[in-house]
Amino acid sequence: MPLLDSLREIVGADHVISKPEELLVYECDAYTLEKKLPTAVVLPGGTAEVQAVVRACARHNVPIIPRGAGTSLSGTVLAVTGGIMIALTRMNRIIDLDYANRRAFVEAGCVNAWVTNAVKGHGLFYAPDPSSQPACTIGGNIGTNSGGPHTLKYGVTTNHVLGLEMVLPDGEIVWLGTKPDGGEDVDGYDLRGLAIGSEGMFGIVTRVLLRLVRAPQAFKTMLGVFSTVDEASQTVSDIIEAGIVPGALEMMDQLITQAVEAAYQFGFPLDAGAVLIIELDGLAPGLERQAATVIEICRKNGAREVRLAKSDQERADLWKSRKRAFGAIGRLSPNFITQDGVVPRSKLPEMMRFIGECSRKYGLRIPNVFHAGDGNIHPLVLYDERDADQVRRALGASHDILEKCVELGGSVTGEHGIGVEKIDFMARQFSPDDLEAMRMLRRVFDPEGRCNPHKMFPGSKRCGDFALRKQAAA
Amino acid sequence: MILAGSSVEEVSSALVGLNAKREKISGFDVRAMRRVLEYTPEDMTVSVEAGSTLAQLQTRLAEHRQWLPIDPPRAETLTIGALLAANKSGPRRFGYGTIREHVLGIKVVLADGRVIKAGGKVVKNVAGYDLCKLFAGSHGTVGVIVEATFKVLPRSESELILQRSANKLDELAPLLGQITQTPLTPVVLDLHGTAAGHTLVLGFAGSREDVEWQRERAQTLGINEATTLSYNEVFWEPSEPPQTVSVLPSKVIDSIKSLDARSYVARAGNGVSYFRGGRSQSRPELALSLMRRIKETFDPKGVLPDMPW
Repeated sequence: MPLLDSLREIVGADHVISKPEELLVYECDAYTLEKKLPTAVVLPGGTAEVQAVVRACARHNVPIIPRGAGTSLSGTVLAVTGGIMIALTRMNRIIDLDYANRRAFVEAGCVNAWVTNAVKGHGLFYAPDPSSQPACTIGGNIGTNSGGPHTLKYGVTTNHVLGLEMVLPDGEIVWLGTKPDGGEDVDGYDLRGLAIGSEGMFGIVTRVLLRLVRAPQAFKTMLGVFSTVDEASQTVSDIIEAGIVPGALEMMDQLITQAVEAAYQFGFPLDAGAVLIIELDGLAPGLERQAATVIEICRKNGAREVRLAKSDQERADLWKSRKRAFGAIGRLSPNFITQDGVVPRSKLPEMMRFIGECSRKYGLRIPNVFHAGDGNIHPLVLYDERDADQVRRALGASHDILEKCVELGGSVTGEHGIGVEKIDFMARQFSPDDLEAMRMLRRVFDPEGRCNPHKMFPGSKRCGDFALRKQAAA
Repeated sequence: MILAGSSVEEVSSALVGLNAKREKISGFDVRAMRRVLEYTPEDMTVSVEAGSTLAQLQTRLAEHRQWLPIDPPRAETLTIGALLAANKSGPRRFGYGTIREHVLGIKVVLADGRVIKAGGKVVKNVAGYDLCKLFAGSHGTVGVIVEATFKVLPRSESELILQRSANKLDELAPLLGQITQTPLTPVVLDLHGTAAGHTLVLGFAGSREDVEWQRERAQTLGINEATTLSYNEVFWEPSEPPQTVSVLPSKVIDSIKSLDARSYVARAGNGVSYFRGGRSQSRPELALSLMRRIKETFDPKGVLPDMPW
């Protein structure tokens, strides 16, 4: 039987998408520089259907590409050479909530924010909170080991996933890590830890056991307004130096603040060089004194103003300004590359100055909104894709910034992943032997290299169209 | 034989030789490698050679009022390599987890002598697969850990350990639910005991105000006797390792009762019990075929110790 007919038989004809115009949605993720249509998209309704789909693809020796909401930013779910995309968006149920043991058991297509929404009445939350959390899925979060503003204190996805069910590329169903009714310690290799951050190259994650965290009793959320990025950076260092670990420590530079202000009118000063959002959380009794210390540190570093959110509404507004920052960029530019790199926190001032130099060198605006506490930068390189020269310059600026991250002892990605976008940087950050060890691990899970192929490793195939453009840019 | 090495190069060339002869080692000793390689207090990260003891590292971090938030027994002799190989933890596990949660990067000599690194030196990094997780908890079966980089934390301003003892475990059982349902945020939530009696231990860490506020709350639950965590060191004094069992935290009381143990220490908040004497417990089924493939891929000539599971 032809593959598509088999797939229709497994999941039902309604859940197989194969018309080119309907496949357009699946031609890329939020990294839009490279696009390619998958052969077809399948929307299975449960683990058994995923298994049958995977087996059918194995029989036909066709690539499989897992996909959640497609919010990833590095082309992680691009169908580089076509293949069957397995979209988990129908498998979005919360299967069980165990408040006593602080666990949530969900299907891989469950939206990140739904988990916290479901348990907040019980004083719990799911900690990893990427900016795309109203849309992105738990399965996708596992693929890229997602972070978010609150990872400084709470850690990333790998610290909050206890176990997961995966359909291996040959169709075998395995459970990795803690089982839903089992104790958290399990013998053997940390297969769950290996699967998290594997960018969908080991198999299809179908169900996930999450760790929930007690919601903080109280928050102190502050907005510090600074004349320069340097002052704000120094404040970040001094807060950490004082032994304070804020729940979140985020920076927005002047261009971002202006764009956010134009879009949403939060009342940000338009001439500020940088603003910091500093959130302390925990038990109420200790927060007053900590907040006073933070305010003092801000003032000492020349803060023009420190605003303390006086209500839940004011706190929510501050966070809205941060989480909607990417959306506000639409006002500044038709296209932008959301870069993602990490430097040791102490190198932040140097890195920010370098980004400024890149902006001048390439003649492009590069606003910054990022996780300052983690040293995780997100320069937004603005360009217009209709102008080939701007595309070339945007790629050049991105490249220089990432090179600098590696040079300063950091990483070319803190949360977006390598995908297709950063393949060329893997050999900068890792030795041939390091990369071979990763390939060895991949062969354990996917000996044929058929699951989400052409990602992460140098020498992978690229989409033809992109290769041409890159060549032209060189 | 035990493979001893005083540098990465030495461990590497020894393994190249062993691999050629297909000679198996039973363990390794890298205690001669004990330098702190890089420590930037401002970045809250530290890189250290695997032969340093945990106690040495903690002493160095304490100079800047920081620590690696992990407290397994016998820190004076426990090397960083051993800490990682067994993914260890201690009484403060409820607050800080096991060492796996704190590793940022790792340098490993593979079975064939190749030296690889995984992860990095920054607190957030998703470039490539998270190979650190392969080696943490691997009991030395897939490579020899020679260096590691950790995320560290500031030391808490204040810490307080309280206990309440009882003859019968059932007297303490209701407290567990009460503690986890109040706003208390303990870093220690342990039970320990013998046939003679049982003790619940509650530890708080944070600002002076936070700890004081929690002390008052604990008092209303009848948990008010100041104590230390020395019971944990005492329990691990015998050289033979205790048995372990891990259950849902809500089932920890039933689990302890069913052990019939001579003595036990339970990380009640995590559902993990360590015990001596008593009945051995069934272990959950593992994805063994994948694990065997890992072992065969990373140690095809069987030079490193066998998988213990």
